Amino acid sequence: MRFNSIGYMISEGFKSFFKQKKMTSASIIIMCATMFMFGIFYLIGENVNFAMSQLEGEQGIRVMIKDGATDSEIEKLKVDIQAIDGVSTVTFVSKSEALATVKSWISGSSDSEDLLDGYEEDNPFPASYFVTLTDLNKNSEVQEKIKALDNVSDLSTNNDVITKLATLARTIQIITLVLLLILVAISIFIIAYTIKLTVYARRREISIMKYVGATNGFIRGPFIVEGIIIGIVSALITLIIIGFAYNAVLTKMMSSAVMQSISISLYTFKALFARVLIVYLILGIGIGTLGSTISMNKYLKV
Amino acid sequence: MIEFRNVSKTYSTGSEVIHNANFKIEKGEFAFLIGASGSGKSTIIKLILKEENPTSGKIIINGKDTTNLKPSKIPYLRRSMGIVFQDFRLLPDRNVYENVAFAMHVVKATPRHIKRQVPMVLSQVGLADKAKKFPNELSGGEQQRVALARAIVNNPSMLIADEPTGNLDPNTAWDIMELLNEINLRGTTVLVATHAKDIVDRMNKRVIQIDGGNIIRDKKGGYDSEI
Ligand SMILES: Nc1ncnc2c1ncn2[C@@H]1O[C@H](COP(=O)(O)OP(=O)(O)OP(=O)(O)O)[C@@H](O)[C@H]1O
Ligand SMILES: [Mg+2]
Repeated sequence: MRFNSIGYMISEGFKSFFKQKKMTSASIIIMCATMFMFGIFYLIGENVNFAMSQLEGEQGIRVMIKDGATDSEIEKLKVDIQAIDGVSTVTFVSKSEALATVKSWISGSSDSEDLLDGYEEDNPFPASYFVTLTDLNKNSEVQEKIKALDNVSDLSTNNDVITKLATLARTIQIITLVLLLILVAISIFIIAYTIKLTVYARRREISIMKYVGATNGFIRGPFIVEGIIIGIVSALITLIIIGFAYNAVLTKMMSSAVMQSISISLYTFKALFARVLIVYLILGIGIGTLGSTISMNKYLKV
Repeated sequence: MIEFRNVSKTYSTGSEVIHNANFKIEKGEFAFLIGASGSGKSTIIKLILKEENPTSGKIIINGKDTTNLKPSKIPYLRRSMGIVFQDFRLLPDRNVYENVAFAMHVVKATPRHIKRQVPMVLSQVGLADKAKKFPNELSGGEQQRVALARAIVNNPSMLIADEPTGNLDPNTAWDIMELLNEINLRGTTVLVATHAKDIVDRMNKRVIQIDGGNIIRDKKGGYDSEI
């Protein structure tokens, strides 16, 4: 296909995009609304995944060992833990290592160094085993079994949070997928309908084109371009709206006490921009092409 | 060249409209297709354009049997024919120049070629000074000239006209017919379906007469010459 005929199709596509103002705006509004809904869940999903990746390093159970335990008792505890079904690795963390870790956490805030200075003599942090699991689903089961063992003073874990996040992530994934399907269906329908109106408005032109020997591709080109333009415009409008909405919500959330108390950070829209742009453009262009093609196969017998 | 070999046509809804038609229009010929309303003239033209397919028989255009032509090849068949209708079929939102250039865009002509070719055919049909006018600013005769210019702008080997003078007064009709004759003298095969008795008589060309789907006459002469 020669360049000037592509140029012709694009300019014709733009012309009819602006001619059918009412229907075009209606379809853009509907597409924006559905893309916005989908976008909300897509963004939540991305953030849940982000939170999970932040917690992944902490996935495991910390088993605090009673201070009075002897070396052989500590060794026996390890063997017992390892024997539990679902346990993957068991790593020993000594009292001094625990202190060092805590020190490294609070280093950075000015006079905190000497805050823990005296503790070397009389270290209050217990020795522990860090236990990772082969399967997070066995979390509570494994915890019960460890609790029942001798010389265990306490357990601490983020696994509950991680499990809950994983369930949330799965739910959001399903919602996003369902919304995506609904979005695609509605948008294809509305674009097909808009293009049908354009085809109807230009039926005279189309019949003349057929008589002077235009190929089907040439006749369809401008309509497909029109569908794609509707898709891209909807994508860009939604991107701007959702960007502002997201930043507004993010600012509110970050200043809330709940978010400040947990050490999970969320994406800024800037970080997600490229991803959302690509997802929206693929959707817009795909739906535009599909909608107009379907419409023409149905209404434009060429 | 247009050839019908034992062509019959029955529309899906009704009885046979064309019955076993045989004729051959040679390259460079001028022929009229006449007959009463409903006799099947437009149907024959639709068969030539492959807008309709024959129920039986063969239609040969420029030496090629179009009976089993793939739908994707139909546009290329139509590029070998210029087509003119009674109702002009111009685009109301485009001026004369654009209406003619449109036919060239459609066959992907280069902008340079379009710029050269369109003014040439407009002066050939006597509309050089009306290029910027819109169809509703033109008389019927002028509109049909635009349609003619559009039909010949891609240099087709044949020109098919279905009642091209049906909406025009006798003088204007005659002007259009003279234009068709000029186009024919330049080597284009011309086939005109018409009711215009006086024009057919005056032109004294080959006449194919059809009645109730049968070709009842095919010879040179006037509208009512004996069969
Ligand atoms: N698409 C169609 N479906 C069914 N019947 C049709 C169709 N087109 C034409 N006919 C019928 O075929 C017959 C011939 O019609 P056609 O249009 O070829 O006649 P015509 O000679 O061009 O008439 P006119 O001089 O009025 O234009 C008519 O009886 C008409 O009703
Ligand atoms: Mg007719």
